[in-house]
Amino acid sequence: MPGTIDYSRITIVPDFDTAEWWMGTKQHKYLVRQCKSCGHKWFPPFPACNKCTSMDLTWFETAGKGVIHSYIVVTQPILSAFIETVPYVVALIELDDCHETDGALVRVAGVLLDDEEAVAMGLPVEVVFQQTNEPNIVIPRWKICGTAENTWKFVE
Amino acid sequence: MGNLTDKYCIVGVGETPHMRPSNRTTLSMACEAVKKAMANAGLEPRDIDGMTSYQAGDSTSSNHVATALGIRLNYSLDIFGGGSSTEALIAHAVGLLEGGYCKTIVIFRSMNGRSGRRMGGQAPSGPVPPTQAAGDQQFYMHWGWTTPAQWFGMSAMRYLRDSGATTKTFAEVAVAHRYHASLNPKAIMRAPITIEDHQRSRWVSKPLRLLDCCLETDVSAAIIITSRERAFDLKQPPVFIMGGTARTMAPSPAWNYSRPEIHYVAGNYGRNRLFGMAGISQKDVDIISCYDAFTFTTTIQLEAYGFCGKGEAKDFVKGGRLQIDHELPSNLSGGHLSEGYTHGISMVIENVRQLRHRADDACPRWEEGIHTYDRKAGCRQVKKARIAACLGWGTEATSSSAILRGIIG
Repeated sequence: MPGTIDYSRITIVPDFDTAEWWMGTKQHKYLVRQCKSCGHKWFPPFPACNKCTSMDLTWFETAGKGVIHSYIVVTQPILSAFIETVPYVVALIELDDCHETDGALVRVAGVLLDDEEAVAMGLPVEVVFQQTNEPNIVIPRWKICGTAENTWKFVE
Repeated sequence: MGNLTDKYCIVGVGETPHMRPSNRTTLSMACEAVKKAMANAGLEPRDIDGMTSYQAGDSTSSNHVATALGIRLNYSLDIFGGGSSTEALIAHAVGLLEGGYCKTIVIFRSMNGRSGRRMGGQAPSGPVPPTQAAGDQQFYMHWGWTTPAQWFGMSAMRYLRDSGATTKTFAEVAVAHRYHASLNPKAIMRAPITIEDHQRSRWVSKPLRLLDCCLETDVSAAIIITSRERAFDLKQPPVFIMGGTARTMAPSPAWNYSRPEIHYVAGNYGRNRLFGMAGISQKDVDIISCYDAFTFTTTIQLEAYGFCGKGEAKDFVKGGRLQIDHELPSNLSGGHLSEGYTHGISMVIENVRQLRHRADDACPRWEEGIHTYDRKAGCRQVKKARIAACLGWGTEATSSSAILRGIIG
C-alpha cells in the first residue's frame, strides 16, 4: 500500500461549479455532471453540456465502480503532500454506469490504495472515501475489487 | 493559408545561452534574445513594430521588452500557453501582417524554467510547499497528478498497450536527439547516449524515465517575421512560411481523458489542414522538429502528422531514422530533451538555421553557409534541407504546426 498522503499540504478551494461535488464526496457519493435536457454525463463538472449546450444541469450519483483504463506509477514526488506516498499509482478509471449509446463515457482519475504490483489495465476498481484533516474535504481513492480477463500490465 | 503561402518569411532568430540558473530576469534575457534576432536579420529597433510572446505566468511582457530596447510598437500581445504557442503565434503573425496591423513582428519566449517557475509547480529546491488546489487543479492535485510527465504518462502507458510498442521506441527518440545535441555547441546535454543508457535511467513517472524527459532551462529565444519583399533586402536567406495550424484541438481538449482513444492526439485533426495549406505531402519534408517535452510526444506525433501509420512508430524510429543523414532527421539542435527547454521556439529556430544552410556548428565557415558535413568534426548541417515541418504540442488534445521552406541546398 502506498504511503500516506498529507492532505494538510493541499488546500482544496471549491468554487461555484464544484462546491456541490465536494459536498457529494463528504456524503460518500461519487457524482458526475448530468444534463437535464439530453441526459449526457461528464466530468470534471464543466458548467454546460458539451452535447447540447444546455446549462440546466443536475448531478448523477455513480455507483463508484469502474475499470482501469490506464495508469502511471509516480516515483518522484512533486507536491510535498506526496513525499511519503511514493511510489503510488494514479489510475484512469472508466466508470461502469456512465456509458451512453453513442459511445460517450466518463473517465476519472484517482490514487489507488493498491501497489504497482497489483495494478493492470482492465481490472475492476471501486471508490473508497478518505476523510482529510479538513472536515469538509473528503477525497475519493480507489481500490482493486476483483479480477478480469485480458488485462495488460507494464512490466519493464 | 491559401494564397498567403510563401508570402511571409522568418528573417531573424536569436537566443540567450541555455542556462541553469541564469541569475537574470526574464526581461533581461528577452532583451538579449530580441537584440540578437534583430542583429541576425540586419534590422534596427526602428524597423520592428509588432511583438508577441507566450508565457505561463512566468515571464515579462512585449511592452517591457519594447520599452527597454527603444522599440515603438503598433501591435503587441502576450498570450498564455506553452508548447503549442510558437507555431500558433507564427500563424497569428501572418494574419497580422496580411491585415496591416504591423509590418515586422517579433515572437519571443523568456523563462527561468529551472530557477524560477518549474513545470508542474515544483519549487527550485524540491517538492512544493503547501499549496492551493483551485480551478482545474481541484481535480488533479489531490490525485497527485500534477506534472506534464504524469499527465502525458497516462496516455503513453495506454499507447504502449494499444500499439505494442515498448519503451525502446522512446529510447530511439532520446538517442537521436542526443546525437544531434552532441553536434550542437549550445546544447546542455552533449554526451552521446545509447538505448541501454536510456533503459537504465531512473523512473520519473512510469512509463517515463529520466531520459524520456526534457531539460528544465533558463533561456529566452526570439524570431522575427516580415513580408517576402522586405525579407530579400535583409541579411539572411529568407525562410518562407508555407502553412500551419494554430492550437488545433481534439474534441474535449480540457478533459482529454474521456475521449475514446486518449492517445489519438490533436495532430491527427490538424495534419490535413497543415499539408493542405502548404500544398505538399509528408514525403516532401526533409527535416522535422517534433515536440519533445518527452520522447513520447515525439513518437506519437510522428503518427499523428502522418509520417508513419497509426501504431507504426515502433518500427518507423528503428535504425536511427530520426538521426541526421537518415530519412527524417528530427530536432537537429538536440531539442528539448538535450539542447534545452523553451516551450517550442528553439525547435523552430533550429529549423530556420537548417533551411538557411547556416546551422551554427563547428564548421569554420558556417556563417557563409559552407559546411563540411563531417559529423565527426562537429558539422550539424543537413545536406538537403529545403522543407521543414515544425510540430508543436500543447497537450494530447492541442497542437500547432508550421511548414517552412528554404531556398538553399
